[in-house]
Amino acid sequence: MNRPHSNIAQPHTARRLSNLAFSLSSKAALGLCALILIFLLGSIIYQGGRAVSFEFWLSPAQDFGKSGGILYQILGSLFIITAAAALVLPLALGAAIYRLSYLKNPKIQAMLDLTLYALNAIPSITYGIFGLIFFVNILGTGLSWFVGSIILAVMMLPTVTLASYQTMASLPQSYSENALALGLTRAQLIRRVIVPQSAHGVVTGLLLALARAIGETAPIMFIATAFSGVTVPRSLLEPVATLPTHILALAQQSTDQAALQNAWGASLTLIMFVAALSALAYYARHKLSRLSQR
Amino acid sequence: MTHTSYPTPRILPHENVVPLRAVPAVKIENFGACFAGNCVLTDISFEIPENGVTCIIGPSGAGKSTLLRALNRINEVNGDVTLSGSVSILGRDIFDGYSDITELRKRVGMVFQTPCVFPRSIAENVLFGRRGHKLSKLEKAQIVKRSLSAASLWPEVKDRLDDSALALSLGQQQRLCIARALAMEPKILLMDEPTASVDPISARAIEDLVIELSKTMTIIMVTHNIGQTKRIADTVAFLCDGELVEAGANKDMFSRRSSDKTQTYLTEEFCDC
Repeated sequence: MNRPHSNIAQPHTARRLSNLAFSLSSKAALGLCALILIFLLGSIIYQGGRAVSFEFWLSPAQDFGKSGGILYQILGSLFIITAAAALVLPLALGAAIYRLSYLKNPKIQAMLDLTLYALNAIPSITYGIFGLIFFVNILGTGLSWFVGSIILAVMMLPTVTLASYQTMASLPQSYSENALALGLTRAQLIRRVIVPQSAHGVVTGLLLALARAIGETAPIMFIATAFSGVTVPRSLLEPVATLPTHILALAQQSTDQAALQNAWGASLTLIMFVAALSALAYYARHKLSRLSQR
Repeated sequence: MTHTSYPTPRILPHENVVPLRAVPAVKIENFGACFAGNCVLTDISFEIPENGVTCIIGPSGAGKSTLLRALNRINEVNGDVTLSGSVSILGRDIFDGYSDITELRKRVGMVFQTPCVFPRSIAENVLFGRRGHKLSKLEKAQIVKRSLSAASLWPEVKDRLDDSALALSLGQQQRLCIARALAMEPKILLMDEPTASVDPISARAIEDLVIELSKTMTIIMVTHNIGQTKRIADTVAFLCDGELVEAGANKDMFSRRSSDKTQTYLTEEFCDC
């Protein structure tokens, strides 16, 4: 067969091969990520599943965690992240509103953005060391779950602020113009239009930050937690036990099979909390987003 | 935003000024507006009479919307704007004659080119600007009915006031925006091409509504539509390249008495500014 333009076919073939190579490498990367996740989760579910039961969740640890359950570790983790959420939400909301509505100087805007991104990149152990020096050593608070919440709130602040700001900034400008043209003040505009319309982004940012914070060990290890002998705190200045620090303590006794078994159980419980918070973030994003468009 | 008034008022360039009534609703003197150093309006002076429809016409980029948005100071929302000259509304300077900017905006309502309803019910949209005012249920119901009736929307929505405003057609949404502005009981209503994004039937309905409303309030409308201007305007102001070419009564503008530049624009919709 005569093919007078066969020289044109050459680049097409090269392009097809290049497309195929790119597509295969992308799929391989995705497959590798999925395999790692499946292996990790599979191991934790398989190993942890043998330890986890309602009794494990509802009974206190005994013998330095080698036996008994993780009741106070669960309660301690919930105490710390609930207080951290309550502390970070107004701060992040205020910072995002200020950045959006009041801060007009481009240089200061850039500086604030840089500060938030830099805060986000600080290793969590640094927050822990700062908490140890400032609260425990200088202010003399001793081990305190509330100080742990403050440090976690500071750690979550950039994530929640940036998520809130980006949602607010993505609202159509026409909302603001129409509201202001009706004689609303800037404060009324924020309260009645901007915050309700960006609630889904704020809540999603908060839940994702909490999902990260609940698994953090380093920031609270030196300032808020104790490995054994703690129950429900009766004041702000008492330590608690938390899931991540409990897992760390049990992992250090990994030669003991019972301790290792309980570490797997606590890990699975922690993963379940993270998954629940992530699922809640997904649900909140869709539910609140739909509500704001009704 | 910085606002600078001339220390001593300049004498108005009389060839551009058409005094229409003894007490104008709006009096603009030597007004200019620059955004980040780029001047889009220069030395605008004219008066707008009380009640009736005033249409501001001109080619794209002439500064029509900027002039309209200056009247309730919405331009200042988006940052770096420098204004000069003076604007009086109902006899009071808009920059220092009102106790605050929200008082001015309550008196000078605005309807934008693209309808923007809030994602709430129809009734809540009408009452949006009145929230925070202490109103009884009866008063709220009266305001909703009065405003929607004035915007010719009541018969279409009276049975579904609690439905989402987003379910309305674009033309209905624009009339809802008008009703929302009317609920504030403004003395002046600014309309920035209110029929530009709606179908011809809705556009005619809005035109009829504007004529009806103009019996009791001053309507200032930006439009590209020369036919619409001819149909509804009592007064016409023609802007070109940020300057006022001419302002006058409708019949004068559409007659041979207006300038050649105006005649060219009105007949050929072309302007060599």
